Amino acid sequence: MTIQILETDYAGTRRSLFWLALKTSVLTVLTVGFYRFWAKTRVRRFYWSAIRPGGFPLEYTGTGVEKLMGFLVAVVFLAFYIGVLNLILMFISFSLLNDNFAAYFTSFIGIIPIYFYAQYRARRYVLARTRWRGLRFGIDAGAWGYSWRAMLHWLATILTLGFLLPRQMFCLEKFRIDRTWYGRERFTQEGNWRMLLKPATHYYVGLVLTLLAGIGGYFNELMFTLFIVSIPWLLIGWVHLQINGFKVMAQHKRLGEFVTFRANPSTWRMIQIYLVGSLLIYLLLIAVASVAIVVLIMLDQNIFSDGNFEATFGVGNDGNQPLMFAGIAFLYFTMFIFIGVLGQLFITLPSMRHYAETLFIRDSHHLGQIRQRPRDEFAEAEGFADALDIGAAI
Amino acid sequence: MSMETEAMVFADYVDGETARVRRVKVSVQPASQGSVVRIEPTEGALVDWPIDDVRRIPDQAAKDAVVYGLTGDHPARLIVKDARLNAELSAACPDLKRRHKDPNLLKRLMILSTASVASVALIVFVLVPIMADQLATMLPAEGEQALGDSSIEQIRLALDNSKATGLKDCRSTDGLAALAKMQARLSIGANLPYDIRLHVLDHKMINAFALPGGHIVLFEGLLDDAKNPLEVAGVLGHEMGHVEHRDPTRLALRSAGSVGVLGLLLGDFAGGAAVLFMTEKLIQAQYSQGAEAGSDTYAYALLAAAKLPTVPMADFFDRLHKKYGEEKGLMSHLASHPDSLGRSEAARAANTVEGDFVPILTADEWASLQAICD
Repeated sequence: MTIQILETDYAGTRRSLFWLALKTSVLTVLTVGFYRFWAKTRVRRFYWSAIRPGGFPLEYTGTGVEKLMGFLVAVVFLAFYIGVLNLILMFISFSLLNDNFAAYFTSFIGIIPIYFYAQYRARRYVLARTRWRGLRFGIDAGAWGYSWRAMLHWLATILTLGFLLPRQMFCLEKFRIDRTWYGRERFTQEGNWRMLLKPATHYYVGLVLTLLAGIGGYFNELMFTLFIVSIPWLLIGWVHLQINGFKVMAQHKRLGEFVTFRANPSTWRMIQIYLVGSLLIYLLLIAVASVAIVVLIMLDQNIFSDGNFEATFGVGNDGNQPLMFAGIAFLYFTMFIFIGVLGQLFITLPSMRHYAETLFIRDSHHLGQIRQRPRDEFAEAEGFADALDIGAAI
Repeated sequence: MSMETEAMVFADYVDGETARVRRVKVSVQPASQGSVVRIEPTEGALVDWPIDDVRRIPDQAAKDAVVYGLTGDHPARLIVKDARLNAELSAACPDLKRRHKDPNLLKRLMILSTASVASVALIVFVLVPIMADQLATMLPAEGEQALGDSSIEQIRLALDNSKATGLKDCRSTDGLAALAKMQARLSIGANLPYDIRLHVLDHKMINAFALPGGHIVLFEGLLDDAKNPLEVAGVLGHEMGHVEHRDPTRLALRSAGSVGVLGLLLGDFAGGAAVLFMTEKLIQAQYSQGAEAGSDTYAYALLAAAKLPTVPMADFFDRLHKKYGEEKGLMSHLASHPDSLGRSEAARAANTVEGDFVPILTADEWASLQAICD
């Protein structure tokens, strides 16, 4: 049987994304945030359509209205949960512990199950609204099951000072993938968590060095200098684990019996994208801010002389104050739009491109026989995730 | 024949039933042929898309290929790379950009928004207050004190304009002695679960309020404004009534509940805004009319037990009414009570002491109290 390798190409250009991101961000600000449901939908449509496994684009079919409605539903549930929960926690905290720190702490803890629940529900909505070659993706219901598992894995990771992170990564990925469908064909995550140990090598070295520096520092302050090496090592090791973990786990994923995957993203390329992207954004921001200041000074040479400063900026002059606030708000939101759009252009787009271009599908001519799955009517969309602002990027 | 084959262009097609991608011939058929986009696979039946139903999928990243679908949620897709065919389709299909409109959508959206806003309001204004009232009566005295201790620190910080250390208590020795004497005289008729802890803060507001666990705060503005010590005693008695009835504890628990919801709506969890909001609530101390009347009655009883007249309290209400009149809720919470004339009548009616009485403070003591912040 011949094996067909489907390459993934990436078709989105910076220019077309720039106009889309700019337009939707401006609309979001002008509508005091209400447009954000549509903005996110449209930007997502763009990204999905740019990713073309085997030359055929993904399609995102979610709508802004669905997201808004989902948000409205989720806000009611969360208002109930948070209102009542905070009250009870405050009561318990003061009647048992005579302190309110515990209340703040526990109300943070109380949000965690909802956070993971929302994460899974958001994934379910997005998959249900993603199509490739005309077929829908999907994931089985299971948000609460995911939520308590995620909490236990996090607890285990925290109690072992981070050493069980690879296990957490694998087990949660397996939980998600084993419930994911393309049409009527199910995905499977094979392998076990120990295959992430090798990608985790640098993460572990960084972790051990950081612990050594922390513990050793108590006995000899010179040991603290070890942090200079250990923390970057830990951070880069963590990034490496994320990217190579993704790679290894992709190699052990299967769709149905015969379709497998190869992913080959590079840690250095990703770090490069982030560093270069952030630097570019930073430089552009400085350039724009300098231009703005120069223009301001040229417009009004007198601002800084003979008391005109006060008149111009409304200090001590009530008549100008609303104008000044409007000006500051305008600048603030412009900055906000600017950073968001640049982030899309110089970080999100190149990383998506890199992930797409290094993804291959190995198919022994079975893909074409996979059949459609029914539409997942999903009333609440990703409302919980929106209300809790999870995964704000795309 | 040769003309016809030239017009034939290939494209990729998926039918939405299987993941199979077919190479298909695509042609636009004129009105005589039914005005359709004809899709002909190399094998299998041909598919006709009515030109009115053809849609272009929006916000597509790729410029080299255009994705077409059908109106509604039909999953079939046609991907055309040929520029001439794309131009032909643009010319032939009138509604390419038209989006699917659900006629009931706006109505559903309105209903959902209204229901959503109403539910949140119900939670914040009904459910949380009811629960808070219940829980406030169950909170042990030590818990209330802890709640009050943390609140007063927040209030000191909130009122200090320099935001550095927080407003300190005014504590001139003679002033404190006068205050203690006043408190002792009033406490004859009181039966509180914990000691009253009095604070005078150096602030111009004409205001006083109670906090959970027996803290009572008087502002210097109130002492300055009062014409005699009995007016201050009346206010103090009123606040002691709030303490006895646990009104501030209810308020604190209520705002703890609504603070979380507010944070959710503003995207700020257990953050600065929450604490600020709660502090503001406690200073404003907007209790119900019933709670206010209850505290007034409590104050009259304290004054009566201390063998003191309530007429000066009535004078104080009269003066507030003259000063602020219709300006409700702007200046301070004492001024904001809607019915200060009615309260003054009630205070006069509650008077039990006619003629001479032992003054609560001597003239010297009263002067020291008014100068407590100097």
